[in-house]
Formats: sequence, C-alpha cells, structure tokens
Amino acid sequence: MVKALMLVAAIGLLIPSQALAQAPELPLNPLAPSNLAKPRPKAPFDLTGTWFIDMAGSQNSWRFGPPPPANKMTPETQKHFEAAQKAAKEGKAYRDDIGQCWPAGLPLIMTRVWPVAMIQLPTAIYMVSHFMNSLRIVYLDGRPHSDPDVVVRTFNGESIGKWEGDTLVVDTTHFVNDHHWIDSGIPATDALHVVERMRLLKGGTVLEIEYTLTDPKSWEGAMKWTKRWNRVDDQEVTEVTCTPDLNSHIPSTQSEFQAR
Amino acid sequence: MKAILLCAALVLMSAIVSAHHSSAGIDRSKSVELVGTIKQFSWTNPHSWMEVEVPDQKGGTVVWKVEMTSPAYLVRAGWKSTTVKNGDEVKVTVRPLRDGSPGGLFVSVLLSDGRTFTERPVTAAPPAQK
Repeated sequence: MVKALMLVAAIGLLIPSQALAQAPELPLNPLAPSNLAKPRPKAPFDLTGTWFIDMAGSQNSWRFGPPPPANKMTPETQKHFEAAQKAAKEGKAYRDDIGQCWPAGLPLIMTRVWPVAMIQLPTAIYMVSHFMNSLRIVYLDGRPHSDPDVVVRTFNGESIGKWEGDTLVVDTTHFVNDHHWIDSGIPATDALHVVERMRLLKGGTVLEIEYTLTDPKSWEGAMKWTKRWNRVDDQEVTEVTCTPDLNSHIPSTQSEFQAR
Repeated sequence: MKAILLCAALVLMSAIVSAHHSSAGIDRSKSVELVGTIKQFSWTNPHSWMEVEVPDQKGGTVVWKVEMTSPAYLVRAGWKSTTVKNGDEVKVTVRPLRDGSPGGLFVSVLLSDGRTFTERPVTAAPPAQK
C-alpha cells in the first residue's frame, strides 16, 4: 500500500517536468459568428436551393464511367472492371456497396438521382443529399486542406472552394481507400483528387460542374466529365436512412444477386 | 412543350430513382402478374415496398417481395400511405427477379375498386376556379 502511494506520488511529481503534447491551432468553424463576420468579397453567385441532376439528354448522365480510352486503367482497376462486366452479363451487381448501405461518396453522391439541398454562407456551402442525407461541406473561409496526418478521411472528402471570377473552383482530397466507387467496377482510392469548376447558368436555374478526376492508383491521367443540375423548388430533402432491415425487403440487394 | 419534357424526365427519373442499389438482378424484359393479398405495405425512404401473399398450386401461399420507388415519387403518381392496406385483394404487376425467386420490381397495382396505380407521375388537377 505504501509502495503504491509512493509510486503515484512519484508519477505526480514527474508530470510537470514532461514535455506536454501540443495541440494544433484549429480553424474557426464556418458557423462561428466571428468567422461569418470577417470581411470578404461578395460571392459571385449563391447556390442556396435544391438541385437535381439533369437527365433529359441521357439516361447515363449521372455516371462517371467507364473511363475514356485516354484514361488507361491500372491493372487492379482493370480486374475490377472486367469482373463488373462479367457480373452484369450474369444478372448480378458487382460489389454494390451502395446497395449494402455504404455511402456513395464524391463524385457519385452529387448525381445519385436524388435532390441535393445546398445552403451557401460566406464561409461554406453545406450540401445535404436526399440520398442517405449524406453531408458535404465546401469550405469558403480561406482555410487550407487539413494536415493529412490529422484529417479523418471520408467518402465525400475534404472540399476547399475558391472563387475564380464567376466560377467556384472546389478542390477535394482526403478520401477513404475502400468501398468507394466512381462507377461500376471503377474504384476510388485514397489518392483520388477531385476538382470541380462550378458555374450558374440560365439566370441561376442551372448549375454546371466540370469535373476533373485523378486517381493514379486507379486510372492514368485526368478524367473529365461535365454535368448539369436543374433547380427544383418542388422537391424536398427529408430524412432518408439505410436501416439494417431495409434490404430484407428489397430482394435485388440479396446476396444471390451480388458478385464480390 | 416544357411540361412534356418535364413529364418525360420525371418518368425516366422514377424508373431510375429507386436505385439505392444496382437492379442487375431484375429481368426487365419480363412481367409477372401477382393476384393475391397485401401482407404488408411500407411507406418509407429510400424505398417503399410491399409483400403480396399469392396462392400457389399446392394449396398454400407464397410471399412475393416487391421493391418500389421512394414516397417522393409515389406522391407524384397519386399515391398515399393508405392507398393499399394489409389484407387488400390486389393484382400487382412486377418485373421479376432473374433467378425465379418470388420478388421483383413494382410496375403497377390494380385495386379491387378498379383504380390502378403506377410509379409514373400523373398530371395535377387544374386549380379550382374562384
């Protein structure tokens, strides 16, 4: 007992002499009044509203694949791609992680054929997809990307936006490395880098985003896609969740239709 | 013209929007008519769904699981959460699963009162004249 007390006392004495870990200086969050109040140039446009992917031109306009020939797939991705094509011929879905309740992730969450609500502040744009209520924050408050050793990687990544004339350029990195796909059989890795050039057209009723996707672990070079969204004022973004019992009532998500 | 384009787009979307998942297991070239009784109907996101109890040839019943789109689209097609109820006698048309197991993608339902509901948007009634 005496020994134990002496040990505790000794540890207590030691602590003040040890070097304490230093916490990094954290940025003010986008809703902090002092952040919102900082002087900034007026934003060229306001995305606040609800947006729906424009599919009038093509039923496949929501897709980010297959990669054009110029974006040669890495051997690993080529294997996934061929397995997905084989599964499709057999009437199966290849690694349909979204169907098993994994998040869609960027860029697919933007085109998932569900409305996306956007609320733009001077410091950030908050985006909530109706699909699984996926949250995406585009920071506009001038912060740099987070320290890669500190950031928590996510399916939507970390988005930093900067205004270039009448265009909002959004740079997104820090993605997860698994269960994340940009198209059937085309995986995204932790090396994915997404640049979006956003413009408002037709009197603010159409949002156009030019995508540049690079992921040297999955394909070569920069893959480019341009998508459009229409402002929809009669659609609501409400609570949508993928509950554990959902798929037991959705037969096409059952394991016999899944190829891994 | 704009209204026609919007209508066409909504039809297209309602066909695709049910995709929280791939529908590779569905045989879209076939239709199956289920004559039976609603065992359960769920008005929920991201998909509504119903279970239909159908008599089989052995004197028993088989429960078919039927996937539907989300209520946001069903509302535009005239549905309410009370459109079908447990125990209702119905004729449901589905695109069946490829492997022949009792399940499929919803196409339409014929109720015993003669009304038919699909997932396609219906034109809203013109506003009442004052």
